[in-house]
Amino acid sequence: MRPVRKGPPISPAKIKLQGENFTRLTGEWMTPRRRFLSALYGGRVDKVPAMTLSSVVTLEAMEIVDAWFPEAHLDAEKMARLAATAYEELGLDTIMPVFHSQLEADALDAATWWGTVDNWPATSDHVLTDPEDFKIPSDYLKRQSFEAVLGAIRLLRKRYPDVGIVGKVYGPWSVGYHLVGIENYLMDTILDPDKIRRYLEVMLPACMMSAHAQLEAGADAIMWADHANRELVSPETYRDFLLEMHKEVTVEMGGPSIFHCCGETTDRIDYFAEAGWDCFHFESQVDPYVAKQITGDRMSLMGNINNPTTLFSGTYDDTYEACMKVLEAGVNGVAPEGSVPLGTKMEVLRALSDSARDYSNAHRPDGRLVVHDPPANGRVV
Amino acid sequence: MPELSDITNEYIREEIEEFLERPEEIERNIALFSRTSPLMQQIAAALIAGDMVTVDQLTRQALDDGVGAFEIMDDGLIAGMGIVGIKFREGYVFVPEVLISARAMKAGMAHIEPILAASGVEPIGTVIMGTVQGDLHDIGKNLCIMLLRGGGFVVIDLGVNTKPDEFIAAVREHNAYIIGMSALLTTTMPNMAKTVEAFKDVGLRESVRFMVGGAPVTPEFGQDVGADGYGKDALACVELAKKLAIEVR
Repeated sequence: MRPVRKGPPISPAKIKLQGENFTRLTGEWMTPRRRFLSALYGGRVDKVPAMTLSSVVTLEAMEIVDAWFPEAHLDAEKMARLAATAYEELGLDTIMPVFHSQLEADALDAATWWGTVDNWPATSDHVLTDPEDFKIPSDYLKRQSFEAVLGAIRLLRKRYPDVGIVGKVYGPWSVGYHLVGIENYLMDTILDPDKIRRYLEVMLPACMMSAHAQLEAGADAIMWADHANRELVSPETYRDFLLEMHKEVTVEMGGPSIFHCCGETTDRIDYFAEAGWDCFHFESQVDPYVAKQITGDRMSLMGNINNPTTLFSGTYDDTYEACMKVLEAGVNGVAPEGSVPLGTKMEVLRALSDSARDYSNAHRPDGRLVVHDPPANGRVV
Repeated sequence: MPELSDITNEYIREEIEEFLERPEEIERNIALFSRTSPLMQQIAAALIAGDMVTVDQLTRQALDDGVGAFEIMDDGLIAGMGIVGIKFREGYVFVPEVLISARAMKAGMAHIEPILAASGVEPIGTVIMGTVQGDLHDIGKNLCIMLLRGGGFVVIDLGVNTKPDEFIAAVREHNAYIIGMSALLTTTMPNMAKTVEAFKDVGLRESVRFMVGGAPVTPEFGQDVGADGYGKDALACVELAKKLAIEVR
């Protein structure tokens, strides 16, 4: 039995999503799952989806469903219950149960600190100095971290057949940061690039196994994160080390793919589109108009709502306004740019779905929204 | 007025010509390198190129030749790192290149630091540095520490995952008044605010100055959490620390 809900009134978006008959009354003709997947491929939608592609877990959400960090990282039932607050409490079109970034690294024997109730897990020690020492453990997908994630996805699929379920994979570039240590890894991109290529080559199968397992468990799409961002490396580094490999990944993954790369990525978005990702989950440092202009119809765009300033420090109105600006730019869905701080207020997060609903109502002349092209306002790349 | 041609080292000349754009920075670096010895320019050039072995050798050679530790640090190591910092800020190089140059600087500083420590020269101040609780990323923090030390500060490095109590204990133990907090994750940035609050709770807030930085941190966020300044990169961190040191003196 779920505890009695505390906090501010339930968002209208949530009420709308709860009743099957409500669809007829509001003119919404897509389930959240269908809406999410159509938007992911840049297709028509009844309203622009509001989503989580990373974590929207907050301390408030943990209290509502009585599932707490760090146990919720390693317990399928608690993970599923906590992840579902994205839909149940925030009215979002997706649920994303992989809250942390340690899944693959932990199962590959990196030392993991699972955090506390108000702190995130992290890799606490690095285990690899030579790519030839890398091995995928025979029980890789049976490790506790994987059992929890795959179990949670199965539970969520069963409980929410009409809601988008998003899985998450850290690609070999990011797993390399965890296993090798980011400083040595980055220096070797210059000092010993062949070693880095070998790391990528040996780690890739572990990442693909993770993607396939999550899809098989019931995920609708995989968010694949490889953090070759501007704060760390040049766009040429992405091109030279990852582009060709990502072209293979997008073909071989076997499901819809969403790419995530943190930070200011304007100078490499074109490469991401070339890699064949279906969608790019992008951060607020990137101007959504410019991103849309670069990608055109080659890749959809989701995300862009700033975490620290807007969602964490801002108000409901700040977030609502930020979402409207992003929607005006013609993105395919609004979502936080990354995992939100645990102290973020759920009331503020509800502005995501409310703004998407209101924007779509205001831009739906014939009952079917076509995502708009960016305005011809003279912005150029 | 010194000219670019007054710099004897061709590599340094090319670096200034190719990568420096701001007139005041061009002028400052031409003035700096044109008055330094060929050996100091060689050290700076090797550091910019990330050649750790050569920096190590030349630093030892300079000390053996009787060059002062301060001169080697200021005119060779820090001067070279200054060019690297500008190239990083302008997007000509990225973190891997900076790390490789920082590694070379560390090789040189390994010979310099014991001499400086024994010299009895008063530091500008003591800075407590740490990555905030829940965050294990320290590249940016470590670069800041290296340049702060080179800039004349004593730095107490609390490492990663630093709890508010640990910052407070370090301030008390070392009688420090500048604190630098770093965060890489948007999920851990709020712990900067918690640290500032913890200082308020124990009545220490007014006697210290907080600097914040890290990839997702912005000046606005710094203000929101009650910090006294934001540094975009390691060079900015040193400038900020110098400003704050004057403020609290």
